[in-house]
Formats: sequence, structure tokens, C-alpha cells
Amino acid sequence: MASPIADVSYRDYDGPLFAARYRWWVIAKQGILLASKKRNLQVLSFVSAWYYLAMIIVLFFVNQGGSGGNSEAGNRIMEGIMKNVVWKDQFLHGFSFAQLPLLLVTLVLGAGAIANDNRSRALLVYLSRPCTKLDYLIGKFVGIFVPIFVILAVPTVLFYGYCALSFNQYGFLRDAPWLLPQMLVVILMSAAFHAALVLAVSAMFDQGRVAGATYAAMYFITNFFTVAMSITWATSDGKAPEPVKHLFYGSIDGLQIGFCKAILDTRGSRPFVGGQRGAEANLPVPAPPLLAISLILLVIIAGSAFLTWRRIRAVEVVG
Amino acid sequence: MNVVEVSHLTVQYGSFTALNDFSCEIPEGCTGLLGPNGAGKTTLIKTLLGFVQPKSGTARILGDDVVASGPSIRQKIGLMPEQDCHIPGMTAVSFVAYAGELAGMPSAQAIRRAHEVLEHCGLGEARYRNVETYSTGMKQRIKLAQALVHGPKVLFLDEPTNGLDPRGREEMLDLIRSISHGKGVNVLVSSHVLRDIERVCDRVVVVMKGQLRATGTIQELKAIQGQPLDVEVREPNHAFASRLMEIGAVVGPPKNNVYRVQLAGDVRQAHITVQTAARATNAQIRGFRVAERSLEDAFLDAVQPSEPPHILHAPTATGGVQ
Repeated sequence: MASPIADVSYRDYDGPLFAARYRWWVIAKQGILLASKKRNLQVLSFVSAWYYLAMIIVLFFVNQGGSGGNSEAGNRIMEGIMKNVVWKDQFLHGFSFAQLPLLLVTLVLGAGAIANDNRSRALLVYLSRPCTKLDYLIGKFVGIFVPIFVILAVPTVLFYGYCALSFNQYGFLRDAPWLLPQMLVVILMSAAFHAALVLAVSAMFDQGRVAGATYAAMYFITNFFTVAMSITWATSDGKAPEPVKHLFYGSIDGLQIGFCKAILDTRGSRPFVGGQRGAEANLPVPAPPLLAISLILLVIIAGSAFLTWRRIRAVEVVG
Repeated sequence: MNVVEVSHLTVQYGSFTALNDFSCEIPEGCTGLLGPNGAGKTTLIKTLLGFVQPKSGTARILGDDVVASGPSIRQKIGLMPEQDCHIPGMTAVSFVAYAGELAGMPSAQAIRRAHEVLEHCGLGEARYRNVETYSTGMKQRIKLAQALVHGPKVLFLDEPTNGLDPRGREEMLDLIRSISHGKGVNVLVSSHVLRDIERVCDRVVVVMKGQLRATGTIQELKAIQGQPLDVEVREPNHAFASRLMEIGAVVGPPKNNVYRVQLAGDVRQAHITVQTAARATNAQIRGFRVAERSLEDAFLDAVQPSEPPHILHAPTATGGVQ
């Protein structure tokens, strides 16, 4: 009940009211604020950056050991190691190894985004305000997109900064001058892809857990397919039929890794040590055509947004 | 000025017609929207909010066309939906403040106002609790708080006492009455609980099968055509009844020592005639009052299937008594 000293008589609100624009930002801001308070998300953010963190540690000790005393011998060792490092492949690895933690990040952020609103009929709260379905959809999308983008971009930018400051003499900026903008495009696409897809799945259900389980199932089933294609590729001694190369990218993370390879124009190399040796079958699957994989990603994003749009309803329609 | 003006509104869900050529005007104040389940009350509210596109006809709120104005009209409206609705994972104060921000309030104002409204709705002590842990009564209150936070000029309350125990029901009705009377907030209460409507509303709109059945003040709806009198006597007196009938009155049989008497002329003249008849027959009169039927009777008459729409039905004095 009300406090005994409180003035509980109803008073009308006569303060300012903003025009009915940019409501999506209110929804997005709320999503971002709620995300920032989730402890498990903070832990997952660190886990998703593990490759970059490991690389920074490895490179730091290599740098310390190789240039110890600034001796000529030390410099020769350092040059020998650095010769094998393909810088853009390190970013490809960083991005690839972040995929599984990124799945968990996406589940934490997005599985309940619309499903929980469906369960608690929160749409009536949103849509009885000067909010449109589009505001709701954009707000929810941005509320997932921005945290994913930040979680992926921050370690990428930090690693880029560390390498640019410490290894420029070994050709870091010269070998891939557009590396940072390219990686930011990859991260943008990845964040948009995950946000759109998880929202579509979330909109199908009225239980966040069921939506999350469905999204995870989609991820792992398609991932299993990717692994099958990978084994086919490896056992074919490089003579697997042409479609196998492209089907390798037929999963949630495969599409993104394929896009990253296509943007960076690399097929990848071994983690940490770099270098590409051996027969064709032992090498990573080549990058898919950039235009094709970009189109596939954009179609999935647009299709997911359309599905979500169709599922958002303020009233149950009968008859 | 009319708060709501609806003209020839037809709303269909597929082949089902939820509102059929519905027209009504709702003036300022507190109005009850009465009708049995499935009558079209909630559809009317959802159409006024712009959730449903009408097939034909127009609807205006505070003079603005609901279709042409788009979502901006909802800045003037607060909705307390029938079903439970909240945003998961939020405390009451953050939920209500968020609802305020969605309506266009600056965040600092929204927070301040959320505290104020929650206090008014009796949730001051529980405002930092997660809404999902609230009882049914508290959830009803928070639905009212989120509807009020941005200071709407029109408040739509859809079955506000659903699921409340008697005490909670009384408190909710008191809250609604305090908001709707003298605070500049026009309230439209949709309910099928006649006692609730009678308790808080000044006017009613009766809806049945998507059509308007009756509209007017509660007194008008309860009034009986011809303004008969209920005359309470000490004990039934046949001479008194016969005397009244001799002078042209229609008199019903006594019920709990009360005769229902309908006379020509105005009420004052009828009083004099009844007193004269009582004096002449030694009948002891204990009380007079203008007869009225219960809201339940009025409602049941209005929703009778044989009744044509748009007509306020008022039976004669003999109806149901003689």
C-alpha cells in the first residue's frame, strides 16, 4: 500500500512528450541496457575473444624473446617467425573461433527477445503506444545487433591496434592495408545475420527457451552438415566435386566464415603458426565467390526480417 | 466535445463481422461499454487504437480520425488490456518508466512519473519487485499504472476487475473512480460486470453482436417509460388500489407492500393524487419514489435479440409487475 506520508492523489502529466519518431531507439536502448547487465554475456564476450587474447600473448612472448637485447640473431629469429604469419588469416581465425561463443551470445541476447514478449503479451504495451510494428522490429533488431557488433568488434580492433603498433616493420599494414574496414564489414554482416535469424526464430514461439533450443538445433544440425562436407573434402584428396567446396559453407557459422574468407580474399591457414603447406586436401576449403555468399546472407537476413514482421500482431485474428 | 465519435463502423475478421455498422458518440466523463462476451467491445477498443483496420466507417478520438492520425493518436490514449501484459525481466518502476518513454516522455520525466503513478496505484512498496512475481491484483494495478504514466486524455480499461477478489475489486473501482471524476481523464470501461459499471460510470453504451443496442446515462437506461411511482404502504390495501384505478391509474399487484402506480401528468401531480387516494381509503403511506428497474433488467432488455439496434428500450410501468 501507499506510504502514509505520500500524496497519492492522481495528477495529470503536463510535461513534454516527444513526437512519435525514433521510438525504435527507445526499444533498442532498453535491449542494450538489459544486455549490458547480464553477467553471463560479459563472460561470453571474453570467451569469444579467446583467439585474439591468445595471439596477443603468443606474439608478446615471441616479440620479447626474438628481440631480446636487440641482437642481430634475435632479429633474424623474429623475421623467420613473422615470415610465416599471414596477418589477415589471424583475423579470420579470430572470427572463426568466436563462432561458437557467438552462438551462446546470440541465444542470451535474442532467444527471448520476441518469444518472451509473446508469452507476457508485451506487444499490447508497445503497440498501444505511438509505436509501429516497424519501430518494434527495428528496436528489437538493433537491441541485439549492437551488442553482437560490439562483442566482435572490440577485440578485433584491439588486436589490430596491437599488431599495427608492434609489428608494422614485419609488413602488417603493408600486406593488408584494408584489413580493419574489411573486418568491420564482416562483423557488421555477422551481427546482422545473427540478429535477424534469432529474431525470426524467437517470433515463432512464446517461450524463450524453446526459441533458444530451436536456434541452437539449427546451428548444430547445419554445423554437422558442414563437418560432413569438410570430411568429404579432406578424404577426396582435393578431387571432390565442385559443389562440395561450396556446401562446406552451408551452416550458420559456415556462411559467415565463408563471407569472411571471401572479403579477406584468403582460404585461411593453420592457426597461430600460419603458413600453407602440403597437398590440396590438407589445405582449408577455398573461399566461396563473394557475390554469391553476400547475396545468400542478405536474402536470409531479409527473409528473416519478413518472417518476423509477419509474426508481430497486436491482436489475434480469428475467422 | 465528444471524446469518441464512431460512425457506421464495420470491422471484419475474415468472414466474421465483429462490428456491424456501429455508430455512437461518447461524451466526456466515465462511460461503460457493456455487452456479453464476444459482443464486440474489445474489437471496438482495438479499432479505436488503430490495431484493426475497419472495413468501412470512421472513428474519431478527441476529433482526430484514428486511421488518418496513425500511431500518434495513441499518445493521447492509455490502454489497460484485459489480459495480463508486462515486459519480462523488469521491475515495476522500470516497466512503467519504459512505458512512459515509449509514449514519448523524456527518460528523467518518465522515471519521476513512474514513481508517482505507482504510488497512486498502491504499488509504492512493491515498485522495485520484478513484475513477474506480482499477484493478480498487483498485475491489474500495474496495468493501470502503465496506462496512466504518460497522462492520457482518454483511458481504455478492458475488464479492469478481472480476477480480483472482492476487496481488490473495490479498491480497483475506487481507483478508477478517482481518476475519472474531476481529473480530466475520460475513461471508457469495457466490462460485462454490471455492478462495476454502475459503480464507476456515468453513461453506458450497450453492444450486442457488433451492434449498438442502447446508449445514455445510467439513469436514462434504468428509467421506466411514463415515470411510474413505487408507493410503499404499511400493509396491502385493496381499497387504495381500487381507488387509484378508478381515477385512471395503472396499478400493479403489491410486492413487499409496494404498489407500482402509473398516473397521467408529472410526478408532483401524481404524488398529490396518490396522497388523496390514501387519505380517502385510510391507507398508510411509508414512502414514495420514482420507480426504476435494475441495470441488469435494463441490460437484458437492451440485448434481447428481438430488439432493433440503436433504440434505448424503456418498458412501461406494468412491465414485469402486473
